[in-house]
Parts: sequence; structure tokens; C-alpha cells
Amino acid sequence: MARVDPQPLSPAARAWSLAAGAACLLPLLPQLPAPVAIGSVAMALAIGTLSWWRPLPGWLRMLLALALVAAVLSMFGFALGRDVACALLAVMLAFKPGELVTLRDARSLVGFALFAPFSTFLLDQGPLSLLLGLVGATLALVALLQLSEEESGDAAPIRPWRRVSTVLRLVAIGLPLALVAFWLFPRIGSPLWGVPERVLARPGLSDEMTPGEWLDLMNDDRPALRVSFFGTVPSTSQMYWRGPVLMDYDGRSWTRSRWLSDLPVPATTRGPVAWDYEVEVEPTERRTLVALELPLAVPVGARVAWDHVLQSDVPLGRVTRWRMRASPPSTFEPQLPALFRQNALRLPEGYNPRTVALARQWRREVGAENDVAVVDRAMRMIRNEFGYTLSTPLPGRHAADEFLFDWKQGFCEHFSSAFVILMRAAGIPSRVVTGYVGGDRNPIGDYWIVRNEDAHAWAEVWLDGRGWVRVDPTAAVAPERIYDTIDDRTDGGGFGGLPGVTPMLDLGDWLRRGWNDLVLGFDAARQLAILRPIGLDRTGARGLVGLFGACAVLALGWMLWLTARAERSGDPVVRAWRRLGARYARFGLAREAHEPAQQWARRVAAARPADAEALLALSARFAKWRYAPRIDADDPRPLIRDLRRYRPA
Amino acid sequence: MPGRLQQRLRARFDAWVRRRTPRSLPVRFDRHRIYVLPTRFGAFFAILLLTMGVGALNYNNNPALLLCLLLAGAAVASLLHAQLQLTGLEIHAIGAEPVAAGTPLQLRVHARAPAGRARRGLRVDCGAASGVLSLDGGAGEAVLSLPTSRRGWLAPERLRISTTRPLGLARAWAYAWAEMPLLVYPAPEAGSPPLPQGRGDGQHSRLDPAGDDVHHLRDWRRGDSRRAVAWKASARRDALLVREFEQPLGADVLLEWSALSALAHEDRIRRLAGWIDAAEREARRYSLLLPDHAALGPGTGPAHRHACLRVLALMPGEADGTR
Repeated sequence: MARVDPQPLSPAARAWSLAAGAACLLPLLPQLPAPVAIGSVAMALAIGTLSWWRPLPGWLRMLLALALVAAVLSMFGFALGRDVACALLAVMLAFKPGELVTLRDARSLVGFALFAPFSTFLLDQGPLSLLLGLVGATLALVALLQLSEEESGDAAPIRPWRRVSTVLRLVAIGLPLALVAFWLFPRIGSPLWGVPERVLARPGLSDEMTPGEWLDLMNDDRPALRVSFFGTVPSTSQMYWRGPVLMDYDGRSWTRSRWLSDLPVPATTRGPVAWDYEVEVEPTERRTLVALELPLAVPVGARVAWDHVLQSDVPLGRVTRWRMRASPPSTFEPQLPALFRQNALRLPEGYNPRTVALARQWRREVGAENDVAVVDRAMRMIRNEFGYTLSTPLPGRHAADEFLFDWKQGFCEHFSSAFVILMRAAGIPSRVVTGYVGGDRNPIGDYWIVRNEDAHAWAEVWLDGRGWVRVDPTAAVAPERIYDTIDDRTDGGGFGGLPGVTPMLDLGDWLRRGWNDLVLGFDAARQLAILRPIGLDRTGARGLVGLFGACAVLALGWMLWLTARAERSGDPVVRAWRRLGARYARFGLAREAHEPAQQWARRVAAARPADAEALLALSARFAKWRYAPRIDADDPRPLIRDLRRYRPA
Repeated sequence: MPGRLQQRLRARFDAWVRRRTPRSLPVRFDRHRIYVLPTRFGAFFAILLLTMGVGALNYNNNPALLLCLLLAGAAVASLLHAQLQLTGLEIHAIGAEPVAAGTPLQLRVHARAPAGRARRGLRVDCGAASGVLSLDGGAGEAVLSLPTSRRGWLAPERLRISTTRPLGLARAWAYAWAEMPLLVYPAPEAGSPPLPQGRGDGQHSRLDPAGDDVHHLRDWRRGDSRRAVAWKASARRDALLVREFEQPLGADVLLEWSALSALAHEDRIRRLAGWIDAAEREARRYSLLLPDHAALGPGTGPAHRHACLRVLALMPGEADGTR
């Protein structure tokens, strides 16, 4: 009995379907390369307008679709992956309004549109994407609702808001089942197919540092890490989150040596303090993990490289959590292998002649053995003569020379880079270390936030008998820049002028962390962790499935009850009146559905004279409230109260 | 042979449903008599969600998984919703005015339900015909246009009440068998010859419509023609008066089966039906004489017409051995 003739779309349904498609596409756009995003929008507008007026012929649609696919594929160099798939989806979705004629077309448009928020989440899980994605999905359901109304042949005019509320109620009713499935559905420990790295770059520590080109990260106040300590908390001046160690310098950029990465991890001895903490890493699509000082244990899913920096096995494409233990080193590689030593002294020929000359002069003055005196001399010079600023000119060929002798001000990249060049020229093995420093404590959740703007670069020099020692020339110039918390920095200015803003921001981040904790970072391991206390672990897969089944059935029952209950009369007076009628059921005098109020009251009055007076009065009030012309806006509350209170003896 | 298999499955299902559903109205649908299956779009949607779910699990992407599960939850809720649209619904009567064979029969399906739940846009199918049922204040009716082809009793096919609301993902449906035959009158012959002349001595010539045999005068009413106004009498009485003519009394017409022996069986019936309508149009009294049946009439008016057409509609067919 399927309908054979295609049902045409009403303009309203068409408009809603298009709106739903657009709302679904919206969150995906910022995740795409700009040409694809702009092209999609332009095409959606053009085709939407054109097809509103007149549908495109089939051959033209086919031709256009093939051309679009070819264009997108060639743009990405015919490499298939998540990004390409998302770009294709966006383009096709923008193209879909071209064939919007029948109800079926509208449904397939809305169905495909739902893929857009989904793929957005694969690329980005920020709050804005989540919000826009949910709005898009809701609108898509609203469009489906309208299409179904149209199909049923009774498209009585309904306010859009009523449709939205119907959809929200459906979602709310389905929520228990969704949550049960979310927390109990068996997770896949390792992916079935590959997780390709993203093409689009995101702020985060990279394996490269070019002085002067790091500024966007330093202006980004989004969180990079959230850290909870268990037990001892290091002071802010100890919170150096070590990231990539940069050994190679080509005169312009510092890079991490790739060829060193296969070498064994050199021996170290640890200090007496141990910090126990859990770090939650925001997605960066890179593998570098930062850790305090020396990591004591390597967490599952990561490995430690030659520079004692942790590398995750997979790119950090989503929020991940790592339990770590760390302690400051007492000696860090006291025996430096010749290969490392050679590497840590290498400088490119023909760069920064003034710097090299200065370092050689110092070395001559203090003698061949006294490395510490050279370091002190350099630090003294920096402390006395230099200033901190984020606005620096673009460096020329001799960047360190210009910085040390001309500008005499800059930020961490300049300081660390110039310092290491000085040290190397003086014959002291040294290297640049990037990472984060410090953090702000969120008092609401008692955890520390490290933001992208806390990114920092410092130096490590190798001293005989002590190994690698951290030297932070920037801290010598601008300690407040490094160690102070946001509260200290904004005191009196910025947000500090408005009382209550900082707690609000703290609360917002705490909520965000809760969401990360409950939703974004949930995986097989965490699922196991919540199931273990009730006696289920990975070996008991059958138990997990059973538990999931049982909870799903419970949730379904709950849904059934909610659905059946949800549609009752919206009017509290009528509801109270019905309940009053139902109270007479035990006397066999329940009000029939068709019975008018007064008539029923008289029937009860005849059978039970004791109730007559009160009941007749109540029914008269009810009838008056319900049927008499409303001249003044009566307050129905006393009537509701009396109806609820009345109990037949 | 998927077609054959589908047919057999359908027949099996129908037989099973038939045993479970009461044979006569009223029928009240409870959840045991309501069937819910995904629509084609629902199947598409399920595949979509499945793809999303596998993708989200693979990438261990929790927002994507949550979105997928929320959609799935809403879909399941819409399934329950669709079923609840039908639960408690009662089809309590059907009815139709008899029509001549060939013209569509307007079948009315009356339904009621306990108040408190909005039930709108339910689809009622009966064979190839369909209508929309919306309940207002707990009661509603759907009108279906059933095609008719032959006179006699028309047993309507089973009624199927279905809905794909709210999201169009699943169709909930229930069956009701209305064991109430509907009558279809014979189709009147088109362009039938004039009525046979009446016989007997009650024969009058027809009155001139503008005749002067005025029966009485009455007050003017809206809609009366100006020509009917009795101007002189009105002037005397100072109010508009209208002449009312006596009902012209034609001769009784005798519609006889046996007089039409030249025609085929069904043609006779059609001619008689045509004559009945002609006699009604001309407001003449008529009698119907049929074999094996007491004479009907003489009489006139809707009741008489219905009685006569009903007998004609129920005349046995030629194969049944009628003279």
C-alpha cells in the first residue's frame, strides 16, 4: 500500500528542510580548508535559490556532482582520509538542494545532513562545534517532524516552537536509553581502521621553533592541559612542563633531531621528591606529551624518547588523560655520549659572528674549565641589560646578534635561542627546550590549568658532574611573566576590575573539565574502571553485554512510561478536575468522559447527599471557569487548590 | 521469486492478523493489535545511525557517539509515540449513503478515543482508498472514497489505520474488519426512454406550471420568484403574498419488470433504476413490479425511492436462474 506518486513538497516544508541542512552544515564549515568552506556556502546559496525557482535537470546535476568530486579530490591530491571525506560531504550537502522536489528528496537531504555534525565531531570537539552540531541535529529532527505531518495529510498549522518542543521531548524521552548505551556499550580498545592525522594545523607545541614565529600560540588563552595533583604540589616556579627538546639549529630554526630518536634513553638519577598527577591533554593532533621534569613511569600508550619526553603512540586527536609520576632529576645524564656532546655543540657556520666572538672572549677570560662562570656571566648580562616584550621586529640573517646587541628585548624564544648559541660558542653543550611553564589553579575543581599562552622555551646546559641543568634566561628578565598566575597578572586591570568574573571563568572551565571527564575522555579503559567495582572486567564481556541489555530494557520501560504519561492535558485546572472525578471510582461514580461537569455532580449528589453541597459548588466553579466568557483574568490557583484538596469521605 | 515469497508471507501474516482481531465493530486497539515496523526512510535512517555508531566507536569519538545515540533514542521514542497514537483508539462505526454503481461511495469511518492525547493525521486505508483521520475532543471521522463497480452488497475490505508520525521513521498500524455490508444501487441507464404512461382512471393532464388553478395564497418568503407574487391580492392585504399552486398530480407510473422482456437482465435493472430516478425528478407516483417480490408502491419520495432501488440492487443476477 505504498504511495506510488511522489508527494510534492510544500514551500514551508522545503524551507525547513533547507534550514535544517544549512544548520547541520554550519559547524562543519570552520573545520574545512577555506576554499572548500567558501565554495560550499556559495554553491548552497546559488543552488538553493536556483532550485527554489526551478529544479535542475538530471544531466546537469550529474555533471556538476562529478565535477565537484573531482575538484575536491584533486585539491587534496587524491589522498583519501577523514578530511577529504568531510570536504566531500560538505560539498555534496551544499549541492543537494538542487534535487529537492518531493518529500522523499527532502528526507534524504535531512538524513545526509545529519552526517555533517557527526563528521564535525570527528574533526573538532570544542564547545562551539558541539553546540552548533546539536542545534543542527535538532533542526533536522524538526524538519523530519514537519515532513511526516505533511505526509499524513493533516498539516494543521503549528507554531514552529511547538515542533521544537515536541522534538526536544522525544530526545529527552530517548535520553535514558542513549546514556545507558553510552556508558555501557562495549568499546573498541583499538581502532578497526586507521586514524589518519589531520591536515589542518592546530596550535600546540611543535617540533620546531623559529624565533619570532610562535606568537599565535602565545596569544591563545585556551587550555592546553588540566592537571590534578595527588599529594605534593610543586611550586609554580617548579612547574616546567617539558616538551620537545630542540638540538639542531640551522641559523634560523631550532628543530628536534629525528635521527636521535632511536637512541636508548640515557641514564639519570632522580631527586627525592615525587609528584603524582593526572594530566588531561586537549587535542593537538600531535604526538608530543608534556610532563613535569623527569617522568618516572611511562603510561600505557606512550613511550619515552632519548630526551625524556613522552610520545603518545597515536596523535592526540581528542581529549586524553594520562596518569603520571615525575620527579626533578638530581643528575640528568651525568655521562654525555660523544655523539650527543658533538650535537649539542654544533653551530652553523657563518651566522651570528658578534655572538660567537663574545662567547669566545668570555671563555678566554674565565678559563677552560669554569663552565658555571660562563653561564653566570651570560645570565648577569641578560638580567641587567635586557627587557621583555612581545612586539619584536622580524629578525634578519644574524638573529642572535641583532637580539643581543641591537634590540636587547624580546620574549622567550629570543632569550633561549640566543642563550644556547652563546653557550655553544663558548663550548658548553646546550639545547633549547620547549613546553609550558606554570599554570593557574582553579579553586572550584582544585586543579591546574595550563594554557596555550603559557607556552615557553628555555635552555638546558650540560655541566660536568650535574648533567643537564635548566637555565631560564627569560625568567631572569621577566619572572612575573613566567611564574605568576592569571590573578596576579590581571590584578587591577582587565577582568580584575570586575568582581566575580574570575570565579565565573573558573566555574566555566570546571564545567568544561567535567564534560571532558565524563564524555570526551571516556574510553575502554575508563569504562572498565567504572565496571570493575561491580565485578565486571574485560574478561567478562558476556557480563557487560548482559548488564547493557538489562539497563537498556529498564531504560525502555522508563521511556514507555514517560511517553504514555507525557501527553496529558496541559491545563492544570482540567487535570485537577479529572483527578477529582477519578476519586469517585471506588463508589462506582467516576465521571464518564462524555459527562458534563454539572450533570455528573448532580448524579453524585443524588447518590451521596453528604457530598452534594461541596461537590455542586466545586463543579459550578469549574464550569464557570471553563465555559463562562473570561472577562477578567481570573487566577485559577484557588480553584486548583480546592479541587486538589477535595476528598470524598 | 521474491514476489511470490512476499505474497505468501503477506497472506500468512494476514491470516494470523485475522485470527487476532475481532470480526466486527466496534474495535478498540490495544498494544497487542498494533504492529510497528520501520518505514523505508526508517531503514535508511537506521543504516545511517549504524554507520555513525561504528565510525564513532572506531575513532573512540564520544561526542559523535553521543549524537548518534541521542538520535537513536529519539527514533525509539518516536516508535513508541507512533504506537501510542493508535493505542486506545476505537473504531466504533462505519457508514455510507448508498450510491449508484460506478460512482464512488463515501465511506465514513467513525473513531473515538480517550481524551488527553493528540491524535492527528492518522491514515485510514481500505483497499486502494484512503482518508485522513484526526480526532478533535476525543472523536473524529475519516471519509474514504471507495470505488464501486457493480450493484448489490459491497463488503468493504479490512480497514487499516496507520500513522508514521511523528518522525516518519516507523509506521504503526492496526486492522479493523467492518462486518457491515454497504449497499450499491444499480447504475441508472443513461438516456433511458421516457417513462411509460400510467394506466387506470386516475389519469390527469399535467398542469401548466403557470396555471391559474391557485390553491391558496401564502406570505412571501425569501427566494420566491417575482412571477409568483400575487400583486393584486398583495395590494389588498398590504403584504406580499405568493400564489401556491396545487401539487400537480400526475398519473401513477407502473414500472414493470415483465414489460421489458426485450432487454437483457442487467439492462432491465438499469432501465428500471433510471425510470425510478426519472419519476422522482418529475415527482410522479410510481409502483415497481418485480418477479418473486411483492409490488412496491405506488408511492413517491426518498423513502420509496430507496426501497425500490434497494430491491433492484438486490435482484439476483441472471446466472442465478431468474426468468
